[in-house]
Amino acid sequence: MAMFGYTGRILFVDLSSKTVKTEPTGKYAGDFLGGRGIATRILHEDPDALIFMTGPLTSFVPSGSRMDVVAVSPVTGLIGGSSTGGEFPSALKFAGYDGVVVTGKAEKPVYLRIENEEVSIESADGIWGLSAFETIDVLTRGHPDLKVACIGRAGENGVKFAGISFSHRNLASRGGLGAVMGAKKLKAILVHGTRGASPYNPLELMSVFEEIQESITNSGEFLRFKNWHVDFVPVILQLRMPYFGDYEREWEKAEEAAMKAKKFFEEHTVGRASCFSCPLRCWGIVSYRGETLPINLCQGTFPAVTFTLKVEDPELAWRIYRKCQSEGLDMMATVAVVAYASRLGKVRLGSEEILDFIERIVKREGEGDVFAEGVKKASEHFGVPAVYVKGGMESWSSDVRPFVGSALISAVADSGGVNRALYGFPEFYYYVKKEQAEKMARMFVGDVEAAYPWSYSESKVRFAVLWENLHIIADSLGVCVIALLTTPLKLWAKAFKAVTGEGITEDEFMRTAERIRTLERLFNLRHGDGRDDLSPRLFKGEVKLDREKLEGMKRLYYSLRGWDENGVPTRETLEKLGLGDLA
Amino acid sequence: MPYLIVHEEGCIGCHTCEMVCSLSHEGVINPDLSRIHVLGYKGEKFPVMCLQCEDAPCELVCPMEAIHMQNGVRMVDDEKCIRCKMCTLVCPVGGVLYDYINNKMIRCDLCGGDPQCAKYCPMNVIEVVQDEKVPEARKRGVRVLYGEAD
Repeated sequence: MAMFGYTGRILFVDLSSKTVKTEPTGKYAGDFLGGRGIATRILHEDPDALIFMTGPLTSFVPSGSRMDVVAVSPVTGLIGGSSTGGEFPSALKFAGYDGVVVTGKAEKPVYLRIENEEVSIESADGIWGLSAFETIDVLTRGHPDLKVACIGRAGENGVKFAGISFSHRNLASRGGLGAVMGAKKLKAILVHGTRGASPYNPLELMSVFEEIQESITNSGEFLRFKNWHVDFVPVILQLRMPYFGDYEREWEKAEEAAMKAKKFFEEHTVGRASCFSCPLRCWGIVSYRGETLPINLCQGTFPAVTFTLKVEDPELAWRIYRKCQSEGLDMMATVAVVAYASRLGKVRLGSEEILDFIERIVKREGEGDVFAEGVKKASEHFGVPAVYVKGGMESWSSDVRPFVGSALISAVADSGGVNRALYGFPEFYYYVKKEQAEKMARMFVGDVEAAYPWSYSESKVRFAVLWENLHIIADSLGVCVIALLTTPLKLWAKAFKAVTGEGITEDEFMRTAERIRTLERLFNLRHGDGRDDLSPRLFKGEVKLDREKLEGMKRLYYSLRGWDENGVPTRETLEKLGLGDLA
Repeated sequence: MPYLIVHEEGCIGCHTCEMVCSLSHEGVINPDLSRIHVLGYKGEKFPVMCLQCEDAPCELVCPMEAIHMQNGVRMVDDEKCIRCKMCTLVCPVGGVLYDYINNKMIRCDLCGGDPQCAKYCPMNVIEVVQDEKVPEARKRGVRVLYGEAD
């Protein structure tokens, strides 16, 4: 049956048997929408799979540039989910595939080449051992139309916080997905697609495209992003988000470092860039020492280097940023590991030593081998407690202790961390835009308490559940969550109708999000140690979380999700969500 | 007919122009079927399309005399065209393209006077300039391009 919006086919590649086949998308699309939803469903069928999945709106609407990457995380043993934008996802769709599912393991390093109908597994002899940047340069030399997903040396060597690089900017960074790709001996996926993508109603799409674009470009987000890359480092400090060194609350040079970073970006920015189809232009193009590179500050990468690693000199911070990007390392985890190592006296923060230390992690040289296992394993090895979130994953660059909503999600999230659930959550900007945060809280859950970062209120839990659902919808539709949040769900439903021909209501969107969320929970209960907990260090010290109150929030979270007091979905919930067959 | 002028310094490389061009002309989203193309690699990007040249190389090279100016837009006569693609080779900006799916030459037709790329560009990088103003505006565009004007 012909499908609109979806290409209708998912590519399955088994590296062990070197076989390639396609399966219809239709059997998953109705219940799980696309992207994050379908990927999680396929992971249930085969936990060995590494899944790249676009959504029905990928490549059709403004900011429809996203794709979800899902596999079992080598750090946590739970779902490692990460989303990416750029131009790879739409290229995959233009080649005629909704997604790629990679199973098995190659004997020798290979890369996968997808050009419309032609799919081949090629030897990666000449590129194994190269960094992610070098790999992209070699594979696309003379062929700028080719889009690449690849790992750097960190992924090859199984560094547990290696991500998958998509071009020189986008990275599916969290959860160690690069190590999964490395274990499969899959160096890269090359895509070139010329088949295009067909919407159900082109005229209607033209009109809803305009409406969505207008909604995005009239949003505060669009205005803010005008100088975002320049302002971001000082702003994140005003938000009181960062932690310094190994989870300290203060750093006397923070203000100064932020202003220096701002000046650095003022001087070196040469342009702005966006992902495919997106008007938000959240990338700054930076030219430094003869090299031009895009940087996105909104995920907090550069601020994390500046603050967590106490790097006052923005030029050094830039070199550390570039080092992590080029090796395909998750910046959030890397800074957490380096900061923890500094506490053990292994590396001096704010110094050039950091670059060498990261190099040793990438190569797994000496003690770098221990730190490459992630902060939890390293803390077990050295016997000094570290900070981590559910499953032992390094926390995001924001300190969770002063932001209770993010602490809750850090403890209960099943597919990636806070960044997969709480982007732009009002408690984060409370210290900068108090009224706006309160307005949002009142509008969504009818209680200003939910906007207070320190609040353990029940309204905060309801707010977090709602916000997480919106993220799941965005990740499953293939739309960037930043854009999704600027625009009423009603309009996305309208776009869904124009693109696929199927009507969907806001309630149905929400119910689908509930279904996908419970599906994620089921997977982790079945395959990993799914305890919802944070490292004990977060409950000690001067600034700390209240364990009792957090437990109370967790119980409420479970009940709102239709799970029992232990966080296990009830049979009734499964039946209601149409997941009865997985009970 | 209006002309299109690109202020390339503001382009963010989002490819929206390609999306709406292929969508409005072919009913699909496919950058390969778009009459406007975004060029560039790692760094900055900008779109190019047929500039409606005065002494157009495409028209001069065509062995079948299939390319003619009609109402201010250069069109290809599909009946006369033998798909030799000489026009794609001589065009200095790559403004003529071959649609391998429908086997025909495609090029910017200014959407009959209402260019969709200009309408949808979120950064307003593509400017629609009315006919009578073209010579000056275009010269200014070229000067800005080469940094000789503010």
